[in-house]
Amino acid sequence: MIKYLATLLVVGVLLLNSSAYANESAEHDSLEKELAYLAAERKVVVTASKMAEHVDKTVATTTVITQDDITHIGARNLLDVLRLVPGIGITQTNIGIRKIEVRGVSTQLSEKVQIMLNGHPLDHNLQNAGSTWVYDDLPVDTIKRVEVVRGPGSALYGANSFLAVINIITQNAKDLNGLHTSAGWGSFDTQQYRASWGKQFDNSAEAALHFNFTDTNGIKSPIPADSLSIQGLSSNAPGRSQLTEGRYDLEWQLGYKDFKVDGRFIDKKTGAFFNAAPILSDSRTKQNYTDYFLRLSRTWKIQDKFTVDTQIFHDFFSADNIWQNAPSLFSHSGFQDTRTGGEIQANYHFSNDQTLISGFSYAKEQQGNLIEESGPDPQHFMPAALTTQERTRKRWGVYVEDVWDPLTNLRLTVGARYDRYNDFGGTFNPRMGFNWEVFKNYSLKFSYGTAYRAPAFGELAAANNDILRGNPTLNPEEVKTFEAGIIAHPIKGLTAQTTYFHSAINQIISRVSPCPVQSCIGNSGSVLAEGVELEARYDFDESLQGSYIGANHVVQRSIQLGQQLADVPRHRTNLTANWAFDKTWSSFAHVLLKGDTLRIPGDTRNSVPGYGIVDLGLLGKNLFDKKVDVGFNIYNLFDKRYYDPAPANLSFVGDYQMPGIAFFGHVSVKF
Amino acid sequence: MKIINFCKLLILLVAFFAGTGFAQSNKVLIVNSEKTVYRYETIATEFKKVLQQNAYPSIEFNLDDHANADADLKLLIQQENPALIYCIGTQAYSLVRNVAPNKKLLFSAAINWRRLDVGGGAYGVANELSSAQELSLLRYFFPTIKTIGLLYNDSFSREYVESIKKDALALGINVINRSINDTQEISEALNELLPKIDMFWIISDPVVLSNKESVRQIFQATQQQQKPVYAYSDVYIEQGAVLAISADIATIGRQSAGLAMMVDQGKVPAGTVQSPAGSTVTLNKCALDALKLQFNQDALDSVNKIVGCEQ
Repeated sequence: MIKYLATLLVVGVLLLNSSAYANESAEHDSLEKELAYLAAERKVVVTASKMAEHVDKTVATTTVITQDDITHIGARNLLDVLRLVPGIGITQTNIGIRKIEVRGVSTQLSEKVQIMLNGHPLDHNLQNAGSTWVYDDLPVDTIKRVEVVRGPGSALYGANSFLAVINIITQNAKDLNGLHTSAGWGSFDTQQYRASWGKQFDNSAEAALHFNFTDTNGIKSPIPADSLSIQGLSSNAPGRSQLTEGRYDLEWQLGYKDFKVDGRFIDKKTGAFFNAAPILSDSRTKQNYTDYFLRLSRTWKIQDKFTVDTQIFHDFFSADNIWQNAPSLFSHSGFQDTRTGGEIQANYHFSNDQTLISGFSYAKEQQGNLIEESGPDPQHFMPAALTTQERTRKRWGVYVEDVWDPLTNLRLTVGARYDRYNDFGGTFNPRMGFNWEVFKNYSLKFSYGTAYRAPAFGELAAANNDILRGNPTLNPEEVKTFEAGIIAHPIKGLTAQTTYFHSAINQIISRVSPCPVQSCIGNSGSVLAEGVELEARYDFDESLQGSYIGANHVVQRSIQLGQQLADVPRHRTNLTANWAFDKTWSSFAHVLLKGDTLRIPGDTRNSVPGYGIVDLGLLGKNLFDKKVDVGFNIYNLFDKRYYDPAPANLSFVGDYQMPGIAFFGHVSVKF
Repeated sequence: MKIINFCKLLILLVAFFAGTGFAQSNKVLIVNSEKTVYRYETIATEFKKVLQQNAYPSIEFNLDDHANADADLKLLIQQENPALIYCIGTQAYSLVRNVAPNKKLLFSAAINWRRLDVGGGAYGVANELSSAQELSLLRYFFPTIKTIGLLYNDSFSREYVESIKKDALALGINVINRSINDTQEISEALNELLPKIDMFWIISDPVVLSNKESVRQIFQATQQQQKPVYAYSDVYIEQGAVLAISADIATIGRQSAGLAMMVDQGKVPAGTVQSPAGSTVTLNKCALDALKLQFNQDALDSVNKIVGCEQ
C-alpha cells in the first residue's frame, strides 16, 4: 500500500511539474510566435518607396512601359519600345543609328534626349553628344521598366535632359532569382541571345549579371542612286544599305548592405545605312564603338527621415571608325572620351507630405587618343590632320527640389539647378508645377521648366575640315517649356490623359553663315514647338484580365523662321490592343499612323508621304511548368512600302526605304 | 416561332449565360505573407471557416511557397479572376497592390496600416486596437498616470505614434516617445526615457521588438527602475507587464470574412478599415502588487484574465 502511495505521489509530482513546465513553455512559445510575426512584418518597409512618385501624382508628363508591355509588344530593341510612346517618333539616319523625335523636334544625333540606365546618364559620347550611338538598339529582354518623362529635366538631371528623359530600369537580383536565358531569331538574319543570373544571399549580399549578344545583317534597304551614279560615275549604287551589326553587352549589379557596384559594358560593330558622305558605302565602312560605365554607390541612413545617397562613377566611350568618302578614299577616325565624377544627394522627408532633395555633382570630362588617317583603302592609311581636339571640361552642379502635398489632392513641385562649366560658364534651370485632383479621379497638372544642352566637343572644336568649323565660344542651347494636362480615370480600368505642351528653344547650336568654309557652328535661331498629346488605355477586368486596348495621338507643329520644321509629322497615332485568350496565350496588335513630313526650305522634293503600318504578335507565357515563354511577331504585316526622310545635302535620290514585312520569334527559359 | 417559345428560349439563354461566362465571380483569393507565422495562419484558418459556412469559394496563395511570387500570383489572378483578394500581412498586401492594382483588396495583420498605400479604396481590419481604446483602458485602470513613454521605429510606427499622441492629449496624458533604428539603441533610449515617465508602453513595433533579447532588455530596465509596463499583447504579461489589452487574432480572421462578404455585396464604402472587434484584457496582479501601484478597483470588472504570482 505504502509502495502504491509512493508511486502515486511521484507520478503526481511529475505530472504537476510537467504541467508547470508546459505552462511556461506555452508562454515562451507565445512570445516566440509573436516575435516571428513581427519579424515577418519587418520584411516590408513601405515608407521607403514613397520617394518614388506615382505616375498619376507627378507633375511631369510620364509614360511607364513595363516588362509585361515590352514582352507583348515583341520589341527587339529599345526603340521598338519607344515608338509606342505618345510624342515620340523613330526614324532612320544615313550613318546607321536611328533618331528619336520628341514633341516635334528631331535631330540627327538625338542629343536633346537624355537616356539613362538605372538612373545613370548615358551621353558618354562627348565628341558628338547623344546616347543613341550604342543605346538605340539596346536589347530589351533584361529590362524591367522604361520610364519616359517628356519635357525638360535639367532642373534635376543637368545637361542634355532637354526634351525628354528616358530611364531604363533593368532586372535586379530579386527580379531574376535564378538563371534566365532567351534566344531570338528573325528576318535579316537577326539573332539575339541573352543569359541573366541573379541571387540574393543570406548575408544581405546580392548579385545580378546580364549578358546579351546580337547579330544582324541589317535591313538591306535598296539605295537606287547616289551622287556619283547620277553623274554616270562609278559607284556602289544602285545597291543596298550595309547596316550589319554585331554587339554584346555585359551588365552587373552587385550589392552588399548599403553598398552597390553597377555598370554596363557594350561593344558594338556596325556598318552604315548609307554613309556620312554623299555616296553609298560598301561593306568596308565600319563603325566600332565601346561604351561602359562603372558606378559605386552607397545610401547612408542618417535618420529615418534623412538619407544621403552618394556615388562615384567612371564613364568611357570610344569610337574607331572607317568611312568611305569616295570610291577610293577612306578615312579612319577615332577618339576616347571619359567622364569621372561623383554626386551626393540628401533626401529629407519632413513628413509623409513633404520631401526635400538637394545635391551636388562634379565631373571631369576628357577627350583624347585621337585618330585621324586617310588612304585609298582601309589597308593603306596615312596620318592626316586632326579634325577635332583633345579637350578637358570640368563641371559642377547644385540642385534642390521640394515635393509637397499641402492637401491630399494637391502636389506642388518646385526645384532648380545651377550648373557651372569651365568652358561656357553657368546656367540656371528652374522647374515648378502642380498636380491637383480637382474631382475624384480627375486631375489637372501644370508645369513650367527650362533645360539646357551643353555644346559637344565636336561642336566646340571641329577643325581642319573643309566642310565644317567648330566654335569654342558656343553657349548652351536653351528650352523653356510650359505644359498643362488632365488625367482622368472616368471608369474602372480606363486611364485617359490630355497634355498641351509649348516649348521655345533658343540659341540653337547649328550651322551658320557667313563662314570661310562651307559652314560654321554657332548659336543661331529658335524653334517653337507646340502640340497636344492624347492618350487612353483601357484594361479589361474579370474574365478578360490581361487584355487591354490603347491609343495615343499627337497633333504638333514646330516652327522655325515661320515654317514647319522638316522631317517631323504634324500628327502621329498609335493604336494598340492586347488580347489574352487564356492564362497562357495572348495576341498583340499595333497600328502606327504617321502624317506627311515636310522638306527643309529650298528642298523642292515632295513631302515624305505619311503611312500606316500594322504589327502583330502572339505570346505564350508560363509554358512547361511556368519555365518557358515563346513569342512570334510580324512587323509591317501588310508589307507596306514606306520611307523615312533623307536629307537634301546627301544628294540622296528619294528617301530611306524602311523594311517590308519582317518576322521575329523568341524563346525564354527560366531555370 | 411562337412568342411563347421565343420567351422560353430567351429565358434559357439568359439562364445559361448567367450560369457560365457572364456570371460574376465571387471567389476570394487569400494571399498569406508567410504560412508558418502563427498569427497569419490563424487568421487565414478562421477566415476560410466563415467563408465556407457562407458558401463562398476561396483559394489560397502562400508567398513562402513561391520563389517567383510576383509572376505566379499575377498568373493566378488572371486565371481565377477573384472578386476580392484578402491579403494577410504587409508583405502580401504590398505585393498584391502592385500586381493587381485594380482588384478589390482587403487586408489584415498589417502593422500600422496607415503606412500602407490604400489609395483607391482598399478595405481592411487593423492589426492594432484603436489608440483611443487602449488609452481609455489605461486611464480607467490607472487614473493617476500622467506620463507614459514608448519606443518605436519611424518607418514602421510613425503614423500610429502620432495617433497615440493625439488621443493621449485629449485624455490629459503626456506621451514621451523615442524613435530608434536598431535594437542596439534600446538600452540607451530606455535609460533616457524611463526616469521621465510613469509607465512604459510596448507597442507592436517590429524594430523595437526584434528578438527575445530586446524584450529582455526592456523588462530588465523597467524592473530596475520600478516602472510598470503596459503592453499591446498578453504575451508580455509573463515577462512582467502589469496590464495588456490584446486584439483577438481569431476574431480578426472572422471579422475580415464578414467584411469581405459585405464588400462583395457592395454594402461597405470604399476605404473602410475596421478596428479589431475582439479584445482581451489581462491584468498581472503579481506585478501590480510588487510595484505597489494604485489602480481603480472598479476597473477589475473589465478584466478578462487576472494573473497572480502563483501562475
